[in-house]
Amino acid sequence: MATLPLAEEELVARFGPHLNRQPPGGWNAGLDIDREVPTHCCFCGQQCGIVLKVKDERVVGFEPRYDFPFNEGKLCPKGVKRYLQGSHPDRLLAPLERDPADPAGFRQISWETALERTAAEIRRIQAAYGPNAFAMLSGVSLTNEKSYLVGKFARLALGTANLDYNGRLCMVSAGAANKKALGIDRASNPWSDIRLADVVFIAGANVAECAPITTSYVWQARDRGAKLIVADPRVTPLARTADVFLGLRPGTDSALMGAILNVLIARDWLDHAFIAAHTEDFEEAARAVADHTPQWAAGVCGVPAARIEQAAELWGTSRTGMLLHARGIEHHTKGVENVLSCINLGLATGKYGKPGCGVTTITGQGNGQGGREQGHKCDQLPGNRDITNPEHRAHVASVWGCDESEIPGKGLTAQEIVNAIHAGEIKGLLSICFNPAVSLPDTSFTAAALDKLEFYAVIEFFLSETAQHADVVLPGSLHEEDEGTSTTVEGRVVKINAAIKPPGEARLDWQILVDLAHRLGRGQYFPYGSTEEIFTELRRASHGGTADYGGITWQRVVDEQGVFWPCPSEGHPGTERLYEGGRFYTPSGRAKFHPVRWRPPAEEIDDAYPIWLTTGRVVSQYLSGTQTRRIGPLVEQYPEPLCEMHPQLAARLGVADGDLVRVRSRRGEITLPAAVVATIRPDTVFIPYHWPGRQAANQLTQRALDPISKIPEYKVSAVAIERLGPGRGTTDARDMSLEGTPA
Amino acid sequence: MSPLARRDEKVFVIDQSRCIGCKACVQACAECGTHRGHSMIHLEFADRGASTQTVPMVCMHCADPTCAEVCPADAIKQNEDGIVQSALKPRCIACASCVLACPFGVPKLMVEMNQMMKCDMCYDRTSLDLAPMCASVCPSQALWFGTREEFADARPGVLIDEFLFGRQSVRTKVLTVAREDGPLDVASGRTARAWQDDPFGLEESAWPGNAR
Amino acid sequence: MRNGLLAVGVALALGWLGSGGLRWFDAALAGYLLGTLFAIFGTVYRYSVWLRRPPTARLSRRGWEALRRGGWPAVKQLLGLGVSNLAAQTFIRERSSSRWVAHQLVFWGCVIAAAITFPLTFGWLHFESVGDDATRYRAFVGPLATIAFDARGAFGWLVFHGLDVAAILVLGGVFLFLGRRVRDPGAIAVERSTDFLALAGLFAVSVTGLMLTVSTLWMGGRFYTFLTTTHALTVILGLMYLPFGKLFHVFQRPANLGVQLYRAAGDAGPQQQCSECAAPFASVLQMGDLKDVLPQVGFDYALPAGGSWQDVCPACRRRVITQAQAGRVGGFR
Repeated sequence: MATLPLAEEELVARFGPHLNRQPPGGWNAGLDIDREVPTHCCFCGQQCGIVLKVKDERVVGFEPRYDFPFNEGKLCPKGVKRYLQGSHPDRLLAPLERDPADPAGFRQISWETALERTAAEIRRIQAAYGPNAFAMLSGVSLTNEKSYLVGKFARLALGTANLDYNGRLCMVSAGAANKKALGIDRASNPWSDIRLADVVFIAGANVAECAPITTSYVWQARDRGAKLIVADPRVTPLARTADVFLGLRPGTDSALMGAILNVLIARDWLDHAFIAAHTEDFEEAARAVADHTPQWAAGVCGVPAARIEQAAELWGTSRTGMLLHARGIEHHTKGVENVLSCINLGLATGKYGKPGCGVTTITGQGNGQGGREQGHKCDQLPGNRDITNPEHRAHVASVWGCDESEIPGKGLTAQEIVNAIHAGEIKGLLSICFNPAVSLPDTSFTAAALDKLEFYAVIEFFLSETAQHADVVLPGSLHEEDEGTSTTVEGRVVKINAAIKPPGEARLDWQILVDLAHRLGRGQYFPYGSTEEIFTELRRASHGGTADYGGITWQRVVDEQGVFWPCPSEGHPGTERLYEGGRFYTPSGRAKFHPVRWRPPAEEIDDAYPIWLTTGRVVSQYLSGTQTRRIGPLVEQYPEPLCEMHPQLAARLGVADGDLVRVRSRRGEITLPAAVVATIRPDTVFIPYHWPGRQAANQLTQRALDPISKIPEYKVSAVAIERLGPGRGTTDARDMSLEGTPA
Repeated sequence: MSPLARRDEKVFVIDQSRCIGCKACVQACAECGTHRGHSMIHLEFADRGASTQTVPMVCMHCADPTCAEVCPADAIKQNEDGIVQSALKPRCIACASCVLACPFGVPKLMVEMNQMMKCDMCYDRTSLDLAPMCASVCPSQALWFGTREEFADARPGVLIDEFLFGRQSVRTKVLTVAREDGPLDVASGRTARAWQDDPFGLEESAWPGNAR
Repeated sequence: MRNGLLAVGVALALGWLGSGGLRWFDAALAGYLLGTLFAIFGTVYRYSVWLRRPPTARLSRRGWEALRRGGWPAVKQLLGLGVSNLAAQTFIRERSSSRWVAHQLVFWGCVIAAAITFPLTFGWLHFESVGDDATRYRAFVGPLATIAFDARGAFGWLVFHGLDVAAILVLGGVFLFLGRRVRDPGAIAVERSTDFLALAGLFAVSVTGLMLTVSTLWMGGRFYTFLTTTHALTVILGLMYLPFGKLFHVFQRPANLGVQLYRAAGDAGPQQQCSECAAPFASVLQMGDLKDVLPQVGFDYALPAGGSWQDVCPACRRRVITQAQAGRVGGFR
């Protein structure tokens, strides 16, 4: 019974989001702190180093961590204010049970009751409907240790095949494409290589807002004279300074990349020696783009052909170059193809395995890189092993000390799990670190699905919009309350240190899972006494896989300011740059070109829905906002979603800056203020997705999935827009709101 | 070179052109020990309707601070190292003369507190040779802190410490960057790259995608 | 200089008159009198110098103008501001509540102390015993006899221990201030030597004063002479420091009331529009004064195209500078 126990407003009144604006004790509490704890920011895949200040067992502030080589003290606004998520009035401090009769909608229960009821429901549902009728959803803001543990817990304690994670909404398209073409799923380079690139090509990545620290690497390249190409439907803050801007239509990335490959071939800006020695299937890829001329692409992409040729020339004639891509090309029903089309550009010009050369995704989530290697994807086992591969299964079974047959097979992906819940095939759910009520497309469908669960248990630190549906809430731990490792956007394994202990009755996530495993009668597989013991087992489990952590110890991670995997033995220095000497991780050792022909997105504009919608992020919010929508200064920086539209479109709709507009799609509608800005294509609007309920951009998006990666097509929808009336203020007026008292 | 500068001295450089508007500086500024809870740095869009250009501004710490000269309460003091401090709390009478006079638009009048406050280059940090909060965190390094040698090694451009407002020349401790030497004349106007006049090629001559 | 001497003369005359031609003047307080006269001279001298600075002179004139033109409503406003800004000092609470508590303690301690000591010093206030009863006293303001009271009663206790109460209030405030200065790295960084000197002075005066009472009540008067000398010395030094140190703000602060009236008058009048964005950003009155004062203090912000750089609002100043800089770097927009 997972419907909301009370109206959403009542739950919000009790559990938040409320805004925490000041450190514990207020601004004037003084800064005579007890200790400083070096750790990392939790709010994106770059995993910037940060020092947390602790006083009276509470995190009260931060200090830049100048010694960490990736960011050398730099932070984005989320990092600066991350410390305000602790000591938060919304923090869950005791186990809760759904109770519509309780004024709060939930009543406090003991850990014993909470865990026993959860175990009993799991047993009941699996006995009645089969083991796979109980699913688990996880997330990659978890450490490597927790990600690994969740994978093992779902397979051995729950015995379900249906485990998947929110990385499915993040960079799975890149992961799948990398594996297909290059045989390994990791950033091709350490970020220091960006400095050495003569051309930096950013495709579908709002670097300034979603990976702000990467900006400094791009500028370091440009300070050496590098050129910058940006492909994006919006003139993002970094795009403003680009040498070539390709303002393409959403859903046309592979047409653009195909056209660039077409020009590279036509002008012979190719690295024939590299293609011959280190790749295969170039001819197929070339044939596929034979008709993808710049003139043709100009029509598809809505970008002047001359600019496409300019970009091709910069990429093709530069000795070194880095292509960075992110969700902008990956959140598509052809996300894998889009990434493959980028990889083709790197392979065709030999830009792999050399200083300043590479094609890489900018992972979004906190542990987006590491979390996708440790085996909590539905098709994967630790070390990025394949759950359908008998050898891989046998290795992991030997580490786990179980019979190989005890490891379930491949399960459903995240969206498919929610679909199956909606269809009544999955009856029970345990989730951690995932807020599908906000982050999955088509939010009304997701809410309806959650309502149908017979039992839903959640491990959370705040009552997220998804957790509002829970029958049992198990208060887990915040990032700063547990230790472990995560793996950054670069593939660098770093150490997360615990600054404080979980408050109240809240417990460490891994201890909750281990306790639950015992109650499910599977305790023998979870004999851990510390987080480090989980990592030690993870090293063995990953050893021999592509994501080999075998030689990485916590001590090395601390001593060496991070270690890059693959690192098969303790004597191995780690691998900063992949593919050196043209050695790829495919069975043949060669990189594989893939033929990519552009095809249209799942939904196209028509007379009823004549405007393209694309979604994305703002710098002050992280993902579904469970944490960042509770931090006052971040909320005030960008308090509510705005609909960005070009003045030409606004004029056609009769909309002035700040007016309220209704945006409708075939899934739903949203009412929000318009920001009339000349920095977006006139045929496209943009809405950021961090908000829940009636403010959710995902009311409009669709559940169309990439056939390979199963990523939803967040970046392309067809919408209709109408003006509702005047709003509360213009874009510039909003911007001033953070300024404090004006003159 | 500023008369205030020593060779080994760390300098604060502001290069507004590369600001990405993320407001890390604004958020970090409020964490500075000398004015916790109050952000002193300015950052807003230049004209959001037209561009994503943002306008960061710290106190430039003028050699001869206009704010101090026009202060009727004699409340604004310059340290020996050239840092111009916030108005002395006991003296400031909250008249806003400094706010209105400052050529860089820097001081903030905190009305409830009856006091002008402004950027003091994180005096609690710089006096210990630590980088100011804003320059520490700035992801694009539009705000930068280090020695002139370090700057020359890492970045192109010339450091400038003189601004022209009509006939008035103002020399500053905080430096800005330009391609060539010479004072920054605020009336020098704006130039733009070709594509930025028309980011989406709407006005370029006929090309296939432009029909829609 | 002339104003200072004049003020000393006036003070002396008042002392003469109030003390009935020195009849009630307490000779033991002569040292204090000299210190007070020096403080009066110094304060008035420095205040006059301060008022001669062009921006101060302009603001002072405008403040009085605003009061005159404002009539009764302005007087009422002034009284209200006096209560909130000078007595209750609510604006300090906005800065920090602990700072406000500390400041209030020191402030009221000093007010009580001044209200007792200055009249005594000048002989305006003296006490005479009533009849033969050594416990009954009558307070005299100049020649006028006022109430009589029992020295052992609550009122009597308050009268004779008023300075002790004041000292304790001041000490409480001083320790709160010191605590802030020791604990808060931010406060330490902007610490000026005068900040500490003022606290040290208040501390010395309060402690030596309290020691006098301690000596009388519990030490049988031991060290009393030594203590009176020490106390007198600290007080006289304190009085001499008053015009030149941090505590001079006591006399500057009331100017804030004039500023409030001035700004209210400005708000009621026409507003200056920004020459860039056309939004109003300050009063024409204040901008006019500022543009008069700027050349007087050595600045010329006139623009070649006419008008002044100060006609641009602060936000547009920042924007125009940024755009000019971006143009000089590479042409981003």
